[in-house]
Amino acid sequence: MTELSLRLAVTFAQILAEMSIVMITVATMTYFERKVLGWMQDRMGPMEVGPYGLLQPVADGIKLFFKEDIVPAGANKAMFALAPMLTMVVSMIGFAVIPFGPNMTLDIFGITIKPFVVADINIGVLYILAIASIGAYGIILGGWASNSKYSLLGGLRAAAQVISYELNVGLALIGVLMLAGTLSLVQITEAQAGGFWHWFIWGGRPDGFFPIHTQIFAFVVFIISAVAETNRIPFDLPEAESELVAGFFTEYSGMRFAFFVSAEYANMTLVSCVAAALFLGGWNAPYPGTIFEYIGLEQLAWVEHIVWFAAKVYFFLFLFIWIRATLPRLRYDQLMRFGWKVMLPIALANIIITSITLYFFPR
Amino acid sequence: MTFTAWIKTITFYEILIGMKATMSHMVHYRPVTEQYPHEKRTLPDNYRGMLALLRYDDGTEKCVGCDLCEAACPSRVIRVVSAEVPGEPTKRYSKEYYMDMTRCLFCGLCVDACPVDALGMTREFEWSVYDKRQLHLNKEQLLAIGDRSFPVREKQLELQHPNVAFFNVAFKHLPQKPG
Repeated sequence: MTELSLRLAVTFAQILAEMSIVMITVATMTYFERKVLGWMQDRMGPMEVGPYGLLQPVADGIKLFFKEDIVPAGANKAMFALAPMLTMVVSMIGFAVIPFGPNMTLDIFGITIKPFVVADINIGVLYILAIASIGAYGIILGGWASNSKYSLLGGLRAAAQVISYELNVGLALIGVLMLAGTLSLVQITEAQAGGFWHWFIWGGRPDGFFPIHTQIFAFVVFIISAVAETNRIPFDLPEAESELVAGFFTEYSGMRFAFFVSAEYANMTLVSCVAAALFLGGWNAPYPGTIFEYIGLEQLAWVEHIVWFAAKVYFFLFLFIWIRATLPRLRYDQLMRFGWKVMLPIALANIIITSITLYFFPR
Repeated sequence: MTFTAWIKTITFYEILIGMKATMSHMVHYRPVTEQYPHEKRTLPDNYRGMLALLRYDDGTEKCVGCDLCEAACPSRVIRVVSAEVPGEPTKRYSKEYYMDMTRCLFCGLCVDACPVDALGMTREFEWSVYDKRQLHLNKEQLLAIGDRSFPVREKQLELQHPNVAFFNVAFKHLPQKPG
């Protein structure tokens, strides 16, 4: 076996493992969202399938798999079929650059791999921004190809909303990129090691505690824009069910609908991972080092790192559900005004202030 | 805009209050849901459920076939075919008794109208069926509902009971009960 095929096999195994983790997270989120939403609204959520409704995602999956696949008359069949695939694929491949665990290397069959990140490329943040933009094409295409006025309106809304808010996502990340001096998510996370005061949301210098380079405004802008970019309540204008039936996936059914829904949850997970890696220190614990190192189990330190990363990601996912349970949907002009006249100036001012503080207090 | 209002705006004060409210509902989790097929709510005492025909304690039907329920019903649910009791020309009974429960609005006027309390409203409400015709009930079915819902039956009044003896002026030739 040549080295190339060995590398291919190892990479495919890594992709398979990461895909299954993401899909399990998506399935968990469909259950967890309905459950938490129910608890917050004095309901119970799903209770029938399995104990406490635990098998509800399985039942939903089986149901959607066997549902009739309807293509509306007059729909552009190729585009109609392409849209859910595009949305699903780009929501999945964004995870390739997310570091789930520490930047350690593993020697396997004579080749060196990084077990916790599929591709440690040096333009990771740029890659994620690019992939997230392609995801908007799936939504717009799905809305246009359905030959339905509700879908078209949803698709157009998604286009305008994603463009306005992606700008803010990108600008909010620039402060972090200036602090870390790199676009690689692994190195950005490594730059925040050694306690929560080194996380970029706090922004202490590597030798100090005082939050001189704090990115909390960028963090808030990023979270709000991320909610808008994943089309979640209160920014779910593209699928506003009280105005547009279901927006861009009104005409979709069966597995195509399931693709759109799981892509939405995968996008939520992706922006949660990015927020955790860029602002909350990724896999780093909020204290220096790890507990496993202190008690003399350096080999198991990666377990603690992964647990911290998962805890941060699930905190953001819970925050998304929490916001959904609390806030009503914005009006469309409010959404646009908020994006362009509030979020954008804050993000730009954050860049300027971060540049000034970096000039006077270089890291 | 005052300074405090400005501070409240940039710290998302109102939104945080709303999120505190939803979180407190999740922490103090008291669901209002009743898991219906598994646990059933307690019905009020005057619940008006499925209609039923009743019997006396000796098993004879109470209904005297007077048609008053049919006249009282606002939805024309009830159809009574009245007939003489064979061999007793002065007594009548309902030979056939039909209720079309698809039209019933459970107002209870037929129960109020019945002079002999032959109709009752049970506490049954789980009468969903796949075939609408199963809700077209005849006398036997209505009696069966009454039998299972009212196991304790009323004693049959004697014809010579002081309360009804007034109506029995024509039966002086029959042997009277003492007292």
